Amino acid sequence: MHLDPFELHRPSSVEETVSLAGRLAPAFDYIAGGTDLLPNYKMRLNVRPNLIALEDVSELRGISLDRVGAMVRLGELETDPAFGSAYRGVVEAAAEVATPLVRASGTVGGNLLVETRCFFFNQSFPWRKSLGFCLKADGDKCHVVPQKEKCYATFSGDLAPTLAVLDAEVEVAGPDGRRRVPVASLYDASGDGIQRHHLRPSELIVAVHFPPEARTLRGSYRKLRIRPSFDFPELGVAVAARQSADGGVERLALSVGGLETYPRRFDDLTRRLVGERPTIAKVRELADAVRQLVRPVHNTALAPDYRRKMAGVYVRRSVAEILGVAEETR
Amino acid sequence: MAAPDAPAPTYRLIGTRIPYIEGPLKVTGRAEYTDDIKRSGQLIARLLRSPWPHARLRSINVEKARAMPGVAAVLTGEKYPTPFGVLPITHDETAIAVGKVRYIGDILAAVAASDEATADRALEAIEVDIEPLPDYPEPQGGTIAVAEPIHARGLNGTNIQKEVVQHFGDVDAAFAKAHATVRVRGTFAGVTHAFTEPMATIAEATPDGRLTVWSATQVPHYLHRALSEVLGIPMHRIRVIKPEVGGGFGGKSDPLPHEIICAALSLETGRPVKILFDREDVFVTNHGRHPTKNDVRIAVDADGRILAYDIEALIDGGAWSSFGTVTTYYNGVLSMGPYRVPNFRYHGRRVYTTKPPSGAMRAHGGTNIRYSVELALDDLAERLGIDPFDLRERNALPPHSTTVNQFRITSTSFVKCLHAARERSGWDQKYRKLPYGKGVGLGCGFYISGSNSPIHFTPKMPQCTVHLKADMDGGIAVHCMQADIGQGSNTLLAAIVAEVVGVDLDRVHIMRVDSDVSPVDIGSYSSRVTFMMGNAARQAAESLRDQLIRAASRLTGYPPAQLEVAHEKIRVRHRPDIAVDYLAALHAAMERTGALLATGAYNSPPMGGDFKGARAGTAPAYSFAAYVAQVDVDVETGVYRVEKVWAAFDCGRVLNRLAVEGQIEGSIHMGLGQMMGEAMSYRGARLMNPSLLDYKIPMPQQMPEVECLLVGDDDPEGPFGGKEAGEGPLIATLPAVGNALHDAVGVRYHDLPVTPDKVLRGIEVREQSGRAWKGVG
Repeated sequence: MHLDPFELHRPSSVEETVSLAGRLAPAFDYIAGGTDLLPNYKMRLNVRPNLIALEDVSELRGISLDRVGAMVRLGELETDPAFGSAYRGVVEAAAEVATPLVRASGTVGGNLLVETRCFFFNQSFPWRKSLGFCLKADGDKCHVVPQKEKCYATFSGDLAPTLAVLDAEVEVAGPDGRRRVPVASLYDASGDGIQRHHLRPSELIVAVHFPPEARTLRGSYRKLRIRPSFDFPELGVAVAARQSADGGVERLALSVGGLETYPRRFDDLTRRLVGERPTIAKVRELADAVRQLVRPVHNTALAPDYRRKMAGVYVRRSVAEILGVAEETR
Repeated sequence: MAAPDAPAPTYRLIGTRIPYIEGPLKVTGRAEYTDDIKRSGQLIARLLRSPWPHARLRSINVEKARAMPGVAAVLTGEKYPTPFGVLPITHDETAIAVGKVRYIGDILAAVAASDEATADRALEAIEVDIEPLPDYPEPQGGTIAVAEPIHARGLNGTNIQKEVVQHFGDVDAAFAKAHATVRVRGTFAGVTHAFTEPMATIAEATPDGRLTVWSATQVPHYLHRALSEVLGIPMHRIRVIKPEVGGGFGGKSDPLPHEIICAALSLETGRPVKILFDREDVFVTNHGRHPTKNDVRIAVDADGRILAYDIEALIDGGAWSSFGTVTTYYNGVLSMGPYRVPNFRYHGRRVYTTKPPSGAMRAHGGTNIRYSVELALDDLAERLGIDPFDLRERNALPPHSTTVNQFRITSTSFVKCLHAARERSGWDQKYRKLPYGKGVGLGCGFYISGSNSPIHFTPKMPQCTVHLKADMDGGIAVHCMQADIGQGSNTLLAAIVAEVVGVDLDRVHIMRVDSDVSPVDIGSYSSRVTFMMGNAARQAAESLRDQLIRAASRLTGYPPAQLEVAHEKIRVRHRPDIAVDYLAALHAAMERTGALLATGAYNSPPMGGDFKGARAGTAPAYSFAAYVAQVDVDVETGVYRVEKVWAAFDCGRVLNRLAVEGQIEGSIHMGLGQMMGEAMSYRGARLMNPSLLDYKIPMPQQMPEVECLLVGDDDPEGPFGGKEAGEGPLIATLPAVGNALHDAVGVRYHDLPVTPDKVLRGIEVREQSGRAWKGVG
């Protein structure tokens, strides 16, 4: 499989980057680690003639407890001791992305905006041509839910759910200046696997910012897949919580990725536990409600009914663990 | 074979841990694989593959492609329509489709161009007009007459490629008097080899009328023959060279269309042509393990002694025959060990489908049937209240016996395997005694150590010949067409020569396989190389040694019978202080003839019955295995981990301990793949996962601890007493895990791969039936 030539641009500041992007839009892609983009280009998935490399933009670097640059490598993040002890869930997620080799290149920003996946989309050009192209690349129909006119490609990033439950925000730069967007509302909740997020074409994620409260939360990440590395999530459950000295829930957030077109928070459900002393019955009730709400489709390796069932199990386990609620043993 | 009490002979090299001689080159990136070879002016070839599962070709217009700048040649099927195939009796492939395409990925046309991008653009400019034909993605539909058979040679208008019916003894009578019977129906998804190095070939036709082909192949000799047949060039004008090969596992054992196409394009253009496969090309070329359904009934007496097997198999062949006739036999007859089976009936059918062809893959034909048999035996053991180890020991084939279908069993240390696995795994403290979710399971197996009948050769010629040349520098050049594809046969070849001649390993140079100079060996398949090449090499080395001993005899005045080789010298057996250095002996031996030459050859002895198909499964020796696996299942998610495998294996004498352990560990990894997650996943005739991301080879974290228990006694005919260790070690892995899952959660899983969702569904079904996880009922 060959890679068609493209023009590579190497700006060195955020301002230069977004102004270049404004000029080239929409005929460009940003390239961070390239671990997902370049394989997709080889498969001729929405190839653009220009790539803007973020490699030389120093503002996109740096790890602190308040801020992580978008170009921080996942491998750097998972091995940063201070960050790891503050944000366990984020680091657990980073450490479960792909393989060590991919994490040496793959970045925080890249994982946040990683292309949604579907086994009718992530295929070579001849493969897709032989079946008939799909909505998400070169075509006008969905092979997953043929009667629909929307795309069901699955959100496959691991970091976003863990950042969403911490109320982290992304700092976005564009030709019109900078803005902050909560990670929890970065993604398109109308469930469109093509649109995916609310960034404008030439906008760029500069960094992730953590509110002071994030450091008071305990977080975790549980990931379902056939193999314990390399595979994208078939389900990813992030939770974060804080409890009072007597065990009462002061704050609880839950975000589920790998199931639908975007990582989804369940604030209406988690709110019910806030102010309560958690019991396994209440945790089960939450987990059952999540299971009933999620709607995975058959476009990944594991069947949707199983992934949905596992959403219930993983949410129950994660919430029970984070809140210190004992599960009865079988 | 040595008398039981006599100490087994010991050797200087054989039996030690010998690192692969090419290892330093491989780990530093200096080893030369096919894609590392660059010929001056070479073109790049790409293949246009069919997007249709089954279609009649009306026309192919290549004019636009041919006219594109940078395009040197465009080839379609009619230029070289001679059918070929690995088995002489089933030549049903053509290099490029002629008249029809038979699966998504079948080759429609080939382009040679200045570079890959140009070739790819040219492929897109080729216009193909077709008439769609009904596709047959599943074998079931093809067992009756169909509207449009995939091949005209299908049995009576069906898509059946091969049907085998065998009956030995009286199965019905045995079932009638049985104390207990069991029936297991297994379903096995197809799996593929997933070797590291994609297929690659370079061909160079030269003005002297010769054609040189470098190819990543396991069987240079069969490639040599197929090139000659299809291209119409006599074999002596074709030179086949095998560079280093990055794994094969059976996937590079057929002569493959791209190898012939590459050569044809070089003949067309007069320039060197290279083809290197994408991973997707590798997946659709496939030739992996067949998707299979089997139906196994076993009858036993009250003591658990096997009375009869009654087996059916429906085997999904894909678009070509490949090794399929052998596969069809093997899915029955490779159930004939390691137990005594007095009555046996088998009905096997391999059916063409409009899918990528299946073929030979490590432990070919012996894996799927073994899984079902071993799960059935475990079920019987449980119902009869007999420990699974005891039941198997009671049924073990004894050494020097004959099976009901006339396999000649010589050495077997199967019972020693059982004892070792039982003891080391702590079986008696674990089986049915671990908490819910944890379990141990026993799986056994056996496999051929080299097929007795070469597929494609004049039977009176040896299956392997080895040539040695020792010159004044003291080095020994070894020529043989045996194909090291990463399994360590070069190292073993060098070690055998060094052992026999008494020299250091670095004196022995294994020459690259090159049909101009390498004497024929029929390649790396059927686990034949150690046994056959080993014997040929030993014979050649003994001949060289004897020349040195005769020279030493002249120098010392002692008769040859009183001389022996020691390290780098030849000495008098009863006066070891009297010795001649190796080099001195060599130079003395060379005085009249110059460089010394020696040759050795191996042919397996006559064996097998005289009924139809009697040769299938006959081998000069068999390996045996008894594995225990221990699993830990998350009973709420179905996610499980294989924690440890105790692998008791009988490969006769261990020749290179490092290589044998590597083969066992690699085999367990590959077996776990088929067990836990690997599957050629199809929707209809369409392969959904042609990538190493979506095809679920186990990750390092899934690899259990492996304890190798190498307990084999010397084989009477094997080189130094050795037998195969390349394929047999895979087979027992799957049923050991399958039976361990049953011990853990009380469910027998018969649908592979056993992914977490299936584990969970099995538990749910058991719970709904009100059955406890432990106990009969």
